[in-house]
Amino acid sequence: MEKVLSVKNLTKRFKRVVVNNISFDVERGNVYGLLGPNGSGKSTTFGMLLSTINPTSGDWFWFGKKGTDSETLKKIGAIIEQPNFYPYLSAETNLKIVAEIKGTPYSRINEVLQTVGLLERKKDTFKTFSLGMKQRLAIASSLLNNPEVLILDEPTNGLDPEGIIQIREIIGTIAKQGITIIIASHLLDEIEKICSHVIVLKDGNAIYSGAVDGMTSNHGYFELKADNNASLLKALEELQWFTSVKIDGETIKAHVRDDASISASGLNQKLAEKGIFLSHLAKKKQSLENQFLELVKNTH
Amino acid sequence: MMKLLKLEYYKNLNYRPFKVFTILYFAILIALLFIGLADLKLFGNPINLKEQGMYDFPGIWNFTTWTVALLKIFLGLIIVFSISQEFSNRMFKQNTIDGLSREEFIGSKLITITIFTVISTVLVFCITLFLGKSYSTVTDSEMVFKEIFFIGNYFVKLFSFFCFLMFLSILLRKSVFVFLAFFVIWVGEAVIGGIEAYSKLTGMQGAQRNEVLQNEFFFSKLFPLESMSSLIPNPMLRLNMAKMMGLKYEFTYPTESLIACLVWCAIFIIGSYWILKKRDW
Repeated sequence: MEKVLSVKNLTKRFKRVVVNNISFDVERGNVYGLLGPNGSGKSTTFGMLLSTINPTSGDWFWFGKKGTDSETLKKIGAIIEQPNFYPYLSAETNLKIVAEIKGTPYSRINEVLQTVGLLERKKDTFKTFSLGMKQRLAIASSLLNNPEVLILDEPTNGLDPEGIIQIREIIGTIAKQGITIIIASHLLDEIEKICSHVIVLKDGNAIYSGAVDGMTSNHGYFELKADNNASLLKALEELQWFTSVKIDGETIKAHVRDDASISASGLNQKLAEKGIFLSHLAKKKQSLENQFLELVKNTH
Repeated sequence: MMKLLKLEYYKNLNYRPFKVFTILYFAILIALLFIGLADLKLFGNPINLKEQGMYDFPGIWNFTTWTVALLKIFLGLIIVFSISQEFSNRMFKQNTIDGLSREEFIGSKLITITIFTVISTVLVFCITLFLGKSYSTVTDSEMVFKEIFFIGNYFVKLFSFFCFLMFLSILLRKSVFVFLAFFVIWVGEAVIGGIEAYSKLTGMQGAQRNEVLQNEFFFSKLFPLESMSSLIPNPMLRLNMAKMMGLKYEFTYPTESLIACLVWCAIFIIGSYWILKKRDW
């Protein structure tokens, strides 16, 4: 796979170390989630990759070229923290300025405004927009130059549920077009829906970088229910396939051991042989949120 | 070049301070240039600047450039406001992310500064020529163009002044701080200049004093605001000097001030670039 971005030993020290020696690669066409609690160095990392913050040490390569110059930035679309536009100018004029900087023809302006549903408001000044509209205009602006890579830093921050859904739909559409996306968010269910890969930051350290599935070695868990939960519990404990078997209200949760691999039907068959018939059986994967929390906890 | 010009055009055209101060500038500028035609009352005595010879070549060049230069603060305000809003609206950061280099950013601001300076210079030149042709008692071409270098000095003076404000705006990023810093530097230069003059002249009398003033080199003359103001001396000195001493007013071309201004311009431009490059946004 072609590497769009390769980061090597990137470090930034303000008064304390904010980003500590992180390395990761971004491959073309994938959607990456940059995860981490507030203050874990996500925005600083983006700032360095977008040339607004000078790194203390380390290198990175965009499209195989070292560092970030204006030409590279023209292939990237980015939204950082909050939508920034000239408040006294109309949406259209603001986008003209961006188009001028990126060397994009003005004809793209109506196209991107259409994509984010702001075409009717293009003559209105930016300061009259709601936060959701501002954020959508920011997305329109980042799409102006048909970017190869899209960087989104907390794109749904501060939006109401409707706004979040709108932004999520827009991002979903963009992802389908094969644009490489790097998205930072602390809304994990959001990342889970769209990301194939994650980079997890904690206190400036990259504690994981890779596919979402490989984040923890955890194989998920089964949710089971039978008429006689006590005998089911006993049978599951005897099987030795699980790290823990717990009663959780009406159902029993059995966490699969790392070295075991069992399918739902396999388990069902085994239990039937033991004379236990299930009224409910579901194999569940650990949510990204749980995986993330586990990962962050384990590195203490 | 066209790209940077377009950027500045879009950014400034609908910017309210830009409209307000541009209109104010031109209104006051034109009014001020024609002020000499009116009869003024100064300390109870009616004074008509025209009759005092203010509109006579070659002195008129000195008179108009000095008078109009007082108004440069209006254009300066536009520059301070429009540059500091780039930072308060986080637009410098956004422009950078969109792919505008630091060089291009400084370049676009220098284009605005140059345009302001050129327009103002051309305007002063045309109005002076018009006023002089209409009211000067001397009109032979040698006298007309004898002190035309004041127009050149005016250009340098405005350009350095705007570069100075650009540098302060980029350094401090808030217009209030820029005005405060400007005031402090203004007062500071006067105080240091005063101290230097006092230490060099203390205990001296009449002729000796004048000789030191004429020949000694004053470091405070090289300060940015002082060197800018030395480019065009106060024209009132001409009248007063001539009257009081019965001497012909001798103007020596302020070469060292001109060099100082050009050096300051370079320092301000390079300094601005350096700040944009080194700071984290």
